[in-house]
Amino acid sequence: MLLFEFGIYSENNRLPLKVKDMNEVEEKSKDIIKFTSEKLSVDEVSQLVISPLCGAISLFVGTTRNNFEGKKVISLEYEAYLPMAENEIRKICSDMRQKWPVRHIAVFHRLGLVPVTEASVIIAVSSAHRAASLEAVSYAIDALKARVPIWKKEMYEESSSSWKRNKECFWATSD
Amino acid sequence: MVPRCQVEVLYFAKSAEIAGIRSETISVPQEIKALQLWNEIETRHPGLADVRNQVIFAVRQEYVELGDQLLLLQSGDEIAVIPPISGG
Repeated sequence: MLLFEFGIYSENNRLPLKVKDMNEVEEKSKDIIKFTSEKLSVDEVSQLVISPLCGAISLFVGTTRNNFEGKKVISLEYEAYLPMAENEIRKICSDMRQKWPVRHIAVFHRLGLVPVTEASVIIAVSSAHRAASLEAVSYAIDALKARVPIWKKEMYEESSSSWKRNKECFWATSD
Repeated sequence: MVPRCQVEVLYFAKSAEIAGIRSETISVPQEIKALQLWNEIETRHPGLADVRNQVIFAVRQEYVELGDQLLLLQSGDEIAVIPPISGG
């Protein structure tokens, strides 16, 4: 499997700002989506959504657990249908902006092997006040789990590996 | 004679393991129901019958259930076999 870094930066000029004085510059809202095989950094992702207009940054960090149904998990391996995964995340960002007054959004997902305790996904959202970003981040991870074409395979210590299924997956009901 | 086209089928996760490949080009009718398209694919890879009830298609990167929806395909279109997802 070929692993590579793929970053997308898109500007979304949804919120026009009145220039109050000559020093204030209009800030465009950003949706930053990145897939990488490298270790994710909470610091890096949260830095990306900082804004002088915002008093809140909310984060979600998804990490690898070491157990599932009594089996010891050694690591997770992720793969993605990349162009569609990016587009689905972009749609989620658009949905978030319709529902909440958020400023910047960053969604980083790791691909390939992710050892236990390391982060597989980081979502950061900034907003002027905290309610919007807290709610938007929660929505974002739920929506990602329901519709973004990314898969993980759990590698167990004692038994053979298995492809996981999110209960949020919108088309497949649980066994 | 129903016109045909060459589409690229992409396999992911469990479906790629079953099919033994990540992608292939197949010839299909330009107008075909989603379920019929699945049957064409399953004929090529009978092991995929195991996941028939769990997968969904992505046609030109839009989700399409394995049902009666009529697909209008063109050569070069991308069809992805999407097993239950587990991102995040």
